[in-house]
Amino acid sequence: MKKTQIVLLVLIMAAIAVLISVFGDFSSYETFASAAKEPKKSYYIIGYLDTTQGMHYDPKVDANHFTFFAKDKAGIKNKVIFNGEKPRDIEKSEQIVMMGYMDGDTFHCSKIQMKCPSKYKKDQIAVGKQG
Amino acid sequence: MNTTQFAGEHLWPGQLGHFFVIVSFVAALFSAFSYFKAARTETDLTATRTWTILGRSGFITHFLSVLGIFVALYYIITRHLFEYHYAWEHSSYDMPSEYLLSCFWEGQQGSFMLWTFWHAILGLIVMRTSKVLESRTMAIISLVQVILTSMIMGIYFGVDVKIGSTPFMLLRHAMQNAPIFSSPDYMDFIKDGNGLNVLLQNYWMVIHPPVLFLGFALTLIPFAYVIAALWKGDYESFVKPTLAWSLAAGGILGLGIMMGGAWAYESLNFGGYWAWDPVENASLVPWLTLIGGLHTLLIYRSTKRALSITFIFLLLTHLLVWYSTFLTRTGILGKTSVHAFTGDGTALTYHLLIVIGVLLLLSLVLLIVRWKKMPRIKTEEETLSREFWMFIGAIVLFLASVQIAITTSIPVWAPLAKWISGKDFAPPTDVMTHYNSIQVWVGIITGMLSAAVLFMKYKNTPAKTLGIKLGIIAAISGVGTALIAYGQDITDIQYVLLLFTACFGIVASVHYGISVQKGKFKKLGASVSHFGFATVLLGILLSSYNKHAISLNTTGMSFNLQKGTESETIKENMENMIMFRGIPVAMGPYFATYIGDSSVAGKDKRVYYKVAFEKRDSVSKKVSERFMLYPDAFINPKGQQGFSANPSTKHYWDRDIFTYINGATDKSKADTSGYYSHTVNKPGDSIFLSNGYMIFKGFSNEINDRRYQPKEGDLAVKARLEVYDMQGLKKEIAPLYILRDKQYIVQVDDTVGDLGLYARFAALNVHSKDSASLDIQVRQTNPMDDFIVLKALVFPYINVLWIGIVVLVFGFFISVGDVISRKVRTTGGE
Repeated sequence: MKKTQIVLLVLIMAAIAVLISVFGDFSSYETFASAAKEPKKSYYIIGYLDTTQGMHYDPKVDANHFTFFAKDKAGIKNKVIFNGEKPRDIEKSEQIVMMGYMDGDTFHCSKIQMKCPSKYKKDQIAVGKQG
Repeated sequence: MNTTQFAGEHLWPGQLGHFFVIVSFVAALFSAFSYFKAARTETDLTATRTWTILGRSGFITHFLSVLGIFVALYYIITRHLFEYHYAWEHSSYDMPSEYLLSCFWEGQQGSFMLWTFWHAILGLIVMRTSKVLESRTMAIISLVQVILTSMIMGIYFGVDVKIGSTPFMLLRHAMQNAPIFSSPDYMDFIKDGNGLNVLLQNYWMVIHPPVLFLGFALTLIPFAYVIAALWKGDYESFVKPTLAWSLAAGGILGLGIMMGGAWAYESLNFGGYWAWDPVENASLVPWLTLIGGLHTLLIYRSTKRALSITFIFLLLTHLLVWYSTFLTRTGILGKTSVHAFTGDGTALTYHLLIVIGVLLLLSLVLLIVRWKKMPRIKTEEETLSREFWMFIGAIVLFLASVQIAITTSIPVWAPLAKWISGKDFAPPTDVMTHYNSIQVWVGIITGMLSAAVLFMKYKNTPAKTLGIKLGIIAAISGVGTALIAYGQDITDIQYVLLLFTACFGIVASVHYGISVQKGKFKKLGASVSHFGFATVLLGILLSSYNKHAISLNTTGMSFNLQKGTESETIKENMENMIMFRGIPVAMGPYFATYIGDSSVAGKDKRVYYKVAFEKRDSVSKKVSERFMLYPDAFINPKGQQGFSANPSTKHYWDRDIFTYINGATDKSKADTSGYYSHTVNKPGDSIFLSNGYMIFKGFSNEINDRRYQPKEGDLAVKARLEVYDMQGLKKEIAPLYILRDKQYIVQVDDTVGDLGLYARFAALNVHSKDSASLDIQVRQTNPMDDFIVLKALVFPYINVLWIGIVVLVFGFFISVGDVISRKVRTTGGE
């Protein structure tokens, strides 16, 4: 075997080893119930804002504390504490992806991604009266 | 179809534009076919000549019609012809004219058009310069142009099958169900367009997409040359042009990627220039394979080794550009990227998959057919040869790109993985650490190699001299590393190694440029770009290792501190500080005070928040430094509930202080305070304010106020008032009082934003010929109702990074010049 081929082989083996070792970094999409099985471990939960229950954010008390209720894909509602400012437009989101962990009966979330109908697609029409 | 006549539409620009789309498609098809025939009839000189001329005229026609498409769309956008969906969706009247250009690349069709445009220009250059490979390279380029123009055709086959989507679609066709389009005078109701996404209203957004797309477009040329070389079985004449084009592509694409980083740094809130976001990764991956291919091509040029791997890398680069288009444009990244573009639906997905399939098949078939007969060198290379280590470096770059591609593509392979394992895969919860922990080693390995390889020679290098040189360089960089690591408090082993690598690279490339190449400019390409690369590594390390927030919660406000159990990631979220107007808070070495905002009722949607930073000397307590930052935000853009913030940054040579607003009082809602009336009789009378006072200076009828438009029969007076705050004279204001047609009273308020002060000239009471009093109504917002939530970060030594990038790109272009001017062997001539 040629030297280059040996080196190539070694490098590829090393790369595969690295890929396998970081495979555990990959998270998964869970529901509130399945995330509760392993408390304090971070997951993604895809859900929807529950508009029937109130949300609470008072920056004068704590600018990094926002609580709301969300419904996951299984239809279960759960309380969510977001450690950050209230994301603008969350009321309008049609779907939210929350990253965080379950602790007790609340979901502590450190990242929220919203799918908003208005953010990049804005198919509503501005109709003005004739002046 | 209905036959309603619609009033007020301008149909001809769209029809003309669409005509140009069709012409450019047909011309590209014609050109591809003619060039294909020219390549097939090569032995017959007259036939090949005729076909070549046909191919050329086809391509020139194609180029002119692409220009035509551009002009037509530009006309529609600049004339605000909102009957066109594209103009309506991406532009509006209030948009500054320089951003009208950005409309082109905000939309799907516009960016495909930009891409087509660059290909067409590059195609013309290739046509003039490619000589013996013209027919084959141009056949490929034309073929890709056929594909690209098909993406903006918007032609229906039957009801369900739609090929591409046209930028010239009418609004009433795009939204056929909206009732207003049944009315023939619907144009009267469409007053304004949607405008550009506010995040994109930034000067980087005007220049970064064209540069990035030029980078993408440039990868086509090495691709075309490689296909041409394989097709012809000629492995000589492609080397020089491919090398020049790959270097140009590497420089421009690298520049485009980092301009994207600069845009993110200046206008996005994720607090940095690089977030390993899928959209960023999608353009980084082809760049890495391109750099790999570039280096293996250098090996081939000097030693005739590494040909097949060069072909693979360069073919892959262009295919990856298409794959990245697939990732970012079809919406498949949807839930993983902060700035994924909404997809154009399944039609585009299939269209792109077919394109990738066709190009991949073409590449694979040619590679397989020629594989056995490609020239190879039987002997082994020496361990201390440049080609050996350069090859290893290229492989490491490739493996790095594989790792990035795998994680970025999670949404692509997750359905398959779910089907196999039942687990619904998601991206790592800590993306930064995931990539950084792997890619730091790639930085170390490639950085060390890029420096060491400079001192090696092709074929073989005497071990002793090499050892001495590298030893000396290592010693110097070791000292530098120790000093910086101590000064910057860098302790983690992998980052110390990265620091050493960067120092090693800088010292080695400077040494090589001066002592070996004697500063001969033309030859400096490699040492300059390797110097740039090392500087980039240093800049990344210094700016991110000690990046820290100074807006930590230390306001003494009653914070909910039940956060003992929260993990490190949550600390990131603790970096927001609430600032009430006028109340200083400590931020790192500074005291920061939110002074006020620029909002004027009913005016700008963009509000600037004024924050003063003061640094005091610890002994004398005197202010040693004072500066203002103006982070801003678009409030309720496009009439929607919303908030889109832009950072403001104070630049020092050695660090940046980066601030942005995370929240602010909604003035339109919070403003409940009323007006209080004060009467003043003569100049010199004063009115007290909650944090200052103002003095009446007299009347005047010289009115020069933008907010007031004089009308026939107006009687207008202004009251001159001087406003003082605790520091002294603040501003002169002049509210207006207008008697219109002797019966209506019009008042124009004046404001001092910093003090939250609104002054109104409410009434004028004339007592006698020369005595009059006036009522001034004053309203001041309560400072506790006026606050912002601010995040402030310090990026140390970020300028090192920007300088490194400029130098890196500059190095690429020195090399391009060198390759082009070398008049040796290779090219076959005409």
